[in-house]
Amino acid sequence: MTTISTAHEALQSTVGEARVRPGDAGDEVCGVRPSWVVSPADTAEVSAVLRATAEHGLTVVPTGSGSRLDWGAAPRSLDVLLDVSRLRGVVEHAAGDLVVVARAGTPLAEVRREVAKADQQLAIDQPLPTSTVGGLVATGCSGPGRHFFGGVRDLLIGITVVRADGTVTTSGGKVVKNVAGYDLGRLYTGSHGTLGVITEVVFRLHPLAAEHRWISTTCDSPRRAAEVVAELRHCQQMPTAIELDRPRPDGPIEVCAELEGRPKATHDRAERLAAQVGGGVRDTAPSWWGGYPFDTADSGLRLGVQPAELGDLLEFAERAAQDAGVPLALRGAAGLGVLEAGIPGDCPVPAFTSLLEALRGRAAYAVLLRGDADARAAVDPWGAQPPGVQALMNRVKDQFDPEHRLAPGRFVGGI
Amino acid sequence: MSTTTTAAPAAGLDRLVRRFRELLPEDSVITDPQRLRTYECDGLASYRVVPAVVVLPERTEQIREIVAACAEQEIPFVARGSGTGLSGGALPHAEGVLIVTSKLRRILEVDVANERAVVEPGVINLDVTGAAAPHGYYFAPDPSSQQVCSVGGNVAENSGGAHCLKYGFTTHHILGLEVVTPDGDVVELGGSAREAPGYDLLGTFVGSEGTLGVVTKITVRLLRKPEAVQTLLAGFPSTDDAGAAVSAIIGDGVTPAAVEMMDALSIEAAEQAVACGYPEGAGAVLVVELDGPEAEVEHTFDEVQRHCRAHGAFEIRVAADAHERAMIWKGRKSAFAAVGRISPDYIVQDGVIPRTALSEVLGDIARLSAESGVRVANVFHAGDGNLHPLVLFDGSEEGAEERAEEVSGKIVELCIEHGGSITGEHGVGADKVKYMGRMFTTDDLDTMQLVRCAYDPVGICNPGKVFPTPRLCGEVPGKRRGVHPLTEAGLADQF
Amino acid sequence: MTETPARPGDPEGGSLHDADVLGAFDQHHPPQRALIDDCVHCGFCLPSCPTYDLWGEEMDSPRGRIYLMKEGLEGEPMTDAMVGHMDNCLGCMACVTACPSGVQYGTLINETRAQIERRHERGRWEKLLRTAIFTVFPYPRRLKAMRGPLALYQKARISKLLRRIGLLDKLPPHLRTMESLAPPISRAPKLGTRVPARGTRRATVGMITGCVQSAFFPDVNAATARILSAEGCDVVIPPSQGCCGALSEHSGREQEALGFAKALLDVFEQSDVDYVVINSAGCGSTLKEYPRLLADDPVYAPKAERFAAKVRDIAEVLTELGPVAERHRLPVTIAYHDACHLSHGQGIRSQPRELLRAIPGVELREINRGELCCGSAGIYNLLQPQAAQELGDRKAGNVLDTGASLLVTANPGCSMQIRTALERRGEALPMAHTVQVLDAAIRGADVQELLTDH
Repeated sequence: MTTISTAHEALQSTVGEARVRPGDAGDEVCGVRPSWVVSPADTAEVSAVLRATAEHGLTVVPTGSGSRLDWGAAPRSLDVLLDVSRLRGVVEHAAGDLVVVARAGTPLAEVRREVAKADQQLAIDQPLPTSTVGGLVATGCSGPGRHFFGGVRDLLIGITVVRADGTVTTSGGKVVKNVAGYDLGRLYTGSHGTLGVITEVVFRLHPLAAEHRWISTTCDSPRRAAEVVAELRHCQQMPTAIELDRPRPDGPIEVCAELEGRPKATHDRAERLAAQVGGGVRDTAPSWWGGYPFDTADSGLRLGVQPAELGDLLEFAERAAQDAGVPLALRGAAGLGVLEAGIPGDCPVPAFTSLLEALRGRAAYAVLLRGDADARAAVDPWGAQPPGVQALMNRVKDQFDPEHRLAPGRFVGGI
Repeated sequence: MSTTTTAAPAAGLDRLVRRFRELLPEDSVITDPQRLRTYECDGLASYRVVPAVVVLPERTEQIREIVAACAEQEIPFVARGSGTGLSGGALPHAEGVLIVTSKLRRILEVDVANERAVVEPGVINLDVTGAAAPHGYYFAPDPSSQQVCSVGGNVAENSGGAHCLKYGFTTHHILGLEVVTPDGDVVELGGSAREAPGYDLLGTFVGSEGTLGVVTKITVRLLRKPEAVQTLLAGFPSTDDAGAAVSAIIGDGVTPAAVEMMDALSIEAAEQAVACGYPEGAGAVLVVELDGPEAEVEHTFDEVQRHCRAHGAFEIRVAADAHERAMIWKGRKSAFAAVGRISPDYIVQDGVIPRTALSEVLGDIARLSAESGVRVANVFHAGDGNLHPLVLFDGSEEGAEERAEEVSGKIVELCIEHGGSITGEHGVGADKVKYMGRMFTTDDLDTMQLVRCAYDPVGICNPGKVFPTPRLCGEVPGKRRGVHPLTEAGLADQF
Repeated sequence: MTETPARPGDPEGGSLHDADVLGAFDQHHPPQRALIDDCVHCGFCLPSCPTYDLWGEEMDSPRGRIYLMKEGLEGEPMTDAMVGHMDNCLGCMACVTACPSGVQYGTLINETRAQIERRHERGRWEKLLRTAIFTVFPYPRRLKAMRGPLALYQKARISKLLRRIGLLDKLPPHLRTMESLAPPISRAPKLGTRVPARGTRRATVGMITGCVQSAFFPDVNAATARILSAEGCDVVIPPSQGCCGALSEHSGREQEALGFAKALLDVFEQSDVDYVVINSAGCGSTLKEYPRLLADDPVYAPKAERFAAKVRDIAEVLTELGPVAERHRLPVTIAYHDACHLSHGQGIRSQPRELLRAIPGVELREINRGELCCGSAGIYNLLQPQAAQELGDRKAGNVLDTGASLLVTANPGCSMQIRTALERRGEALPMAHTVQVLDAAIRGADVQELLTDH
């Protein structure tokens, strides 16, 4: 029988007294306060901590900078908030091979700065400035550039994870071309801490382009915006990103595409493309570029449709928002058919719920990324999965974390 | 692995075959030993196992019934596309069923508006591009066998090809899969919209080498054809020179669509096979292809040529049109099979090293070759360090095959030593199982098999592939005592 | 299909060579192990193989057939199954073109077929059919004798009558195919035995008149002689020519083929010619293989070598000599169909195209998937009507898709097969041999001459 004091002692024995402290209000995860906050310094300590939690049946939620800790559902139980932000630093930057190895708690910004020294980029944009690379993998979030470069999962080539029982395990490697074994990196990406604790990641890099340009055009209707987006998608200029912004549900829609490449050549491409869609060329991104249409006081959604259905979605969202009387803001990867939406935090729950349900019925999915307690209580944040898929996900979870101690209840289908 | 006794399989198989004959036309259920033998190997002919029965479904629904019937009898099954794989992934099970998808070759939908297509698993890779081409689109993964390999096979192996340097592998071009899981259920992974919530079961399935289920429908991503393509063939005095040119090109921030290298021996073979007319006397050739917006391509192409000349290229040929481009590629694409003209037998190896170690490793291989007397021809994706050493031997010579296997194995070791991979494209299959333990720890392999247990607890879906020691799926993961050995050795946070 | 072990014709010395049996084969020219070992099992041949394209089964692909041959050499008996898959092979050799390892599949399948003919007991109906075919086709005189009755049959529209009363459909598929394949009979011009060169004589060539060609497409022979003469060749046409043996050789009827070959060699030995010219693709392929066929014969082997060195397809020799006769304008869009034994079998693709393109006014169009056999494959369409029909349909579709007004091909079998396939879908397209187009251009004939059905 585990007592609180023995558990506490066990935790302290792994990382030392100083790095185990009681959780406070600021440590809450979706309104649930952890009993302890534990801060290991390296993979070995993470492993020791998890072993201790396994021995004492403790539930764990990992965190980096905590920038997306308020995403997802509230945990059913939370004993240990495992803070890996001390696992920090670029371990290796093999510039000749365009590969970087970094500890999970390293802020993305730090990694980008490091590789920029060799004129390279880790092609992940980040709306939330403190985000760590481990957190980005766990939440699978990238920005506008994923249209061309792929998302986090497409850039991840190797990963070290500590399993619920403390086992340290690696998958992938340090070379881009690698099909040895299963691609577990993809499984971990977007798993929100429910399969293990990420301690180290390996990414492939790209050359840093010399010149960037943005083409921007303002459309007064969803139809027009969808037409422009389709043109941009089908053109041969290989845009890095295609985004749109519609801060007011019935307001104008700004469609903006980014091009990058060689100096002068990129500007020429941008001019041609701008002429084609009837827009202008900018040498800086618009102010809204790469940010979410919601902040920590708002509810944030993610909606997904097949790219060709963008126009329908925009029209529908406009009407649904007006019907519900909700000032819905939309912004995101129009080229991929994935948009984020923001609803003010003071929106009455019934209106919010009806709007979300309506969107969920229309889009392929509508996820409540973050919201306050009332919002989370009113809806299933993730939405239902087809039964066969949910069953498979449950079985995967059961294998990785049979006791369901990692972020229990935070994920899809109550995983 | 198999829990059945010798008596049970026969009875179970009989029931299974009867079920199959109810389900499929007579010619689609093969039990005749002579015919079965034609399926005993895929593109890796050194591994041969005769299946107990071969079935050739004609509709995707039949795959579900076939798998369900196998699950009911707990009889193992292996899926096979065109049988061109190079790691024995489609090697049959002696007491099992071989499910051949070659009759499932319809392209179900080409959806240009959403830049995707839906195909059956037996559709030939190049035919996808054929269907998309009239709309100005194409399917990017281009293994050298693309005229014959199946998309289902590409999904299983996460196939690459020359253009994966810029465009990624099969996994970057799969938007959805309809899969029959080993218990006979049908699930749709991905398919609706991007970035859907939940575990990325789709991404985990690609490259799982047929061990997690059988694919029945594939939604692929189509790419817009680039505005401009420029291809050059450059002759260099040596592989070192060519390698230095590649480093310079990549170091300059250029991402070519493809950079391929062939050494003198492989050039000789290709010449004999397809008369590609590569620069005479070259110690190495580079095929470099750039694509993208015209302005970009023009600009970078000049730079690429400059780098080639600066590093000793004595001849550079630029393709003037699509025909000339095809001719330049012909030599490279036929290289493997062409080697059969300069040697009675050969082993195709597939390993990856960091690109920066290329020169060193090629030197090591040359030394290995000289010491052992075994010739090695080198063909490889210079841009990403994926080597394809072709180890030549004459099977009729005493001990020649063993010596060649030894050299081949040492090359794989070299790749591991340099922090690379034991396979860049061809997969682990049956052939590289023995090396998995050198590249991954037991814990790593154990973790991967957690996924396998989630899908196939009974162990009937392509058993014996990829993993050296099958995990018993009922097992509760042991509580680890003590520190991880790597960490203990002071190698914390390293692979 | 049931499996039956091999039943050699006469194990007690009645077979040709009283030698050991290696599984399916005996020692007399079994498929060569060395050639089989050239195959690395890469599978590049699969997409080019018509039967793999139709059925998607390994056993009916070149790779699979080679594997079956290998099994046969390793002790497996010659079963009905094995024979069936070999019989399914069209012998089109598209796989030879596709193979990066240089496997000589053409040789392997011919060797295997000869073994099958000697060692395998066919079913009664099949034996009857083959006997019937080989009683008529390799004998020009017998084929010519059919002209009269066939012409009457066609003139009296008996075919239409039979179809209307439903009798035609009741015929077994083989007979139905034969009925449909019969080409329209028209008057046959007399050829003569020597046609002198016009203008300066550049060469003396012997001309092979063939069997089906001379009986049913005599215009083609006439046109061939005229062109050769126009291009400065003395044309020698030995009158007592028999069959070259191609049909027999491709079907594995070894002794029969050898007999025809030797007879033809004797005929041409008399005439001292620079080249021996053939206008039928299937025949040309076999003529060039005479050295291999007659390798065992000490008397005929050297004759075969000398002869084969002189053999040229008409397109080959005209390109080699280079044109001297003026080509007049012929405004016509042509779809050129590569006969398998010309393109895959002899590698002759560019010469006919060059010759056609050199005619002012000609627009040449490529047929989609042109490398896929039309299904004629010698007598394949008579022996495997189902498969041949499917292939014929595909070819007809691809031909029509070109939108050309004239189909040009260099093999009588192909013409018949494609005509029949077009008829099945209610279509028709004028057809001509390459030489007929060239001949019309040299004579300054009106393009209508080619476009009116003859």
